[in-house]
Amino acid sequence: MRQSILEALAVGKSYPGVAALKGVDLAVYPNEILGLVGENGAGKSTLMKILIGLENPDSGEIRLRGARAELAGPAAAIRGGVGMVFQEGCLLPNLSIADNLFLCHEEGFRRWGLLSGRRQAAEAHRQLEAVGLPRLDPRTIVGELSASQKQMVEIARLLWLSRLYGVENPALILDEPTTVLQDNEVRILFDILSRLKEQASILFISHRLEEVLQLADRICVLKDGSVAAMLDRGQATTRGVARLMVGHELAEERCRESLQTAPGSEAVLEVEGLGLAGRFRDFHLRLARGEIVSLVGLLGSGKEEVCRCLSGSRKPDQGTILLEGRKMRFASPKDAIAAGIGCVPIDRRNEGLATSLDVASNINLLVLRRLSGGPLLSPRRERQNAGRWVEECLVKTPSLQTLCANLSGGNQQKVVIAKWLAAEVRVLILDHPTRGIDVGAKDEIYRRIRELAASGISLVIMCDTLEEDIGLAHRLVIMKDGRIVRDLACPRGAKPSPLDVIGDIV
Amino acid sequence: MGQVLALAFVLLLFGLGTRGFFLSPKNLSTILSLAGIPLIICLAIHQVVLIGAMDLSTEGIISLCAVVAGFLIRNPFNALDLGFWTVPLVLALGAAAGSLNGLLNTKVRMPSFISTLGMWWVAQGVAVILGRGNAVKMLDPRFQPFTNGEVAGIPITMLLALGLGALLLVLQRSTRLGKFMYAIGGDEALARQAGIRVDRVKVLVFTLTGAIYGLAAILLISRLASSNPRAGNGLLFPAMTAVAVGGVSLSGGIGGAVNAVFGTLIVTALNNGMVLMKISPYVQNAVNGIVLIAAVALTLNRKKLGIIK
Repeated sequence: MRQSILEALAVGKSYPGVAALKGVDLAVYPNEILGLVGENGAGKSTLMKILIGLENPDSGEIRLRGARAELAGPAAAIRGGVGMVFQEGCLLPNLSIADNLFLCHEEGFRRWGLLSGRRQAAEAHRQLEAVGLPRLDPRTIVGELSASQKQMVEIARLLWLSRLYGVENPALILDEPTTVLQDNEVRILFDILSRLKEQASILFISHRLEEVLQLADRICVLKDGSVAAMLDRGQATTRGVARLMVGHELAEERCRESLQTAPGSEAVLEVEGLGLAGRFRDFHLRLARGEIVSLVGLLGSGKEEVCRCLSGSRKPDQGTILLEGRKMRFASPKDAIAAGIGCVPIDRRNEGLATSLDVASNINLLVLRRLSGGPLLSPRRERQNAGRWVEECLVKTPSLQTLCANLSGGNQQKVVIAKWLAAEVRVLILDHPTRGIDVGAKDEIYRRIRELAASGISLVIMCDTLEEDIGLAHRLVIMKDGRIVRDLACPRGAKPSPLDVIGDIV
Repeated sequence: MGQVLALAFVLLLFGLGTRGFFLSPKNLSTILSLAGIPLIICLAIHQVVLIGAMDLSTEGIISLCAVVAGFLIRNPFNALDLGFWTVPLVLALGAAAGSLNGLLNTKVRMPSFISTLGMWWVAQGVAVILGRGNAVKMLDPRFQPFTNGEVAGIPITMLLALGLGALLLVLQRSTRLGKFMYAIGGDEALARQAGIRVDRVKVLVFTLTGAIYGLAAILLISRLASSNPRAGNGLLFPAMTAVAVGGVSLSGGIGGAVNAVFGTLIVTALNNGMVLMKISPYVQNAVNGIVLIAAVALTLNRKKLGIIK
């Protein structure tokens, strides 16, 4: 048996209400590219954070070259020969390439006590050559580089650091590196990664299956916090891996399917030919009263931007949005709210909720005009309105004056929904409504979504898992690379299985 | 580049407006001598701005240093006569006040603009208490050269300021501390992740800035030939304007000593020109304010600030 470079042994990690990893075993060997795939929420990012020392595992251990390692953070990890290229990048945009490459390790470039810019530039040039950028001037400011160039610089930095620390064959972790790249840049990246294999091991995380199958020597499929399968390149097919990713049977009643009511016939929201340059084009949608439509697609499929356009926070380049037959032009979310379109964003804490305000203030936020008697707000009406919606939405809060920061994730989400209901929206966009919410609260959210639909509100949702999408929605609209590829009905009792759908997504 | 154009524009504008007098060697020399101390203060402040922080305590610390220096140099109030030994002592006092700014920012985790605002008034108050409101005459002739001395037509204060600027430039471009400063100004979280001891660097920068305030205080009382607890009054605004006009981004990480030099020259020339054109002092104030706002509007990186408070 070969000696592994980086190994996770029975690693477990739980967050409040969720077991993110349940005893994961994973080993990266010298000179190989290991692909790691899994749905959103399968535990990929948690596993990475543990491998790089950003999080500590609750159980199990990490081994570097066979020896148990306690990693204090990315800086300690790279000393042990494990480096990661983060999705959002960790280069300083205001510094030059050379300064970024050697940041915090400039000792070797001293001359007469001062740092020699020429020596740094010369060394940086050598490092850039190694990652296929021989013509890039090391004095270029990083902020001016393209996404792929930044990735290469990060890779160069990790390789240089590992050599500095005298580590042979470092392990590089790449988190969804291709989402920010153009097609030709992806090819270049893969060329370079294949060459780097001779001096490093690469853990390549992606949910674009074709890419992983093309690049990786072995593929690890993560499902619900466990390793569902470990495949060699020859064994794996896109469909087979997809099947492993979505795995088990759809649990009956998981998403309160029995409460699914038939939507009305009249259209509430009609979208025609909507497009946003570089993101999506030719998007159309007919949303009936009380209908739940789920937008399905990978990160970068354009579904997020569609929702942003619908909720007024981005302006589409082309196409029309009709709300109850009237043509809408949203200059800002305010216009969308006024027209009756609400949005529950994925990032509750930053976007959906003013966590430093109390429950009542949050619920009343959009309807203050209605709650005033004369020029001043009426405290009585404020209390009444907030109290009514807290009851309606079953928000568990000690009082109306409790700060939202002190509520659980599930109750925060209910406050956000209560706010929109108070504003009497006709269309509600739910962006990952159950993200970070524990199982019990999820069920209440599902029930709430059903009730909203039954009461005649139309919903556009994007969920954490495909099962949730299928379970909740009347209809799936599947997007890939900015276009709708399939429109699939999900009637009660005849829901498609995730396996029928996954092929269209990846 | 924009700074050079701005300076050329100011020179040209007032050159035409004063029918050439503004550009006469005599007036240019006046501008240089006026710009000496403001340049030193601007160099002090721009270091803090570079790391993405803010220092408003300038006037308080300079007043405090001036009062203390006044009592250490030969004076009518006590028997002390430390001569040039005053310089290291006053620099140390400034450094101590500056390091306090840094500690409040890093250890107490306060926004630096508010902690240094408080420090301004604390130091100002202590200066008035120590000085009992008196002006202290300076009786030591050895400080005379800093009043109006020149070397090759350039005022000595200006030479000192340029020397300091050169030192800081080397610090910024060719030392690890300098690289760390830019990294912190660029993104503090990423800098910390890269392994930089962010808090230490920040305290160090605030301390250095405080020491430079001490230097400014000594040059200031040499020029006035006396010290008083209001010595620092009115120095913050032009220096801050110079920082912004020079192109040092108030969001941190961009700019350097060269920008401070250009900024100070632009602001000093602008004010000198307005005086020569006999523009009302109130209008002058308003113009300075507009220049500050316009310069910040042009150099601020709003993406980095997110929510602007």
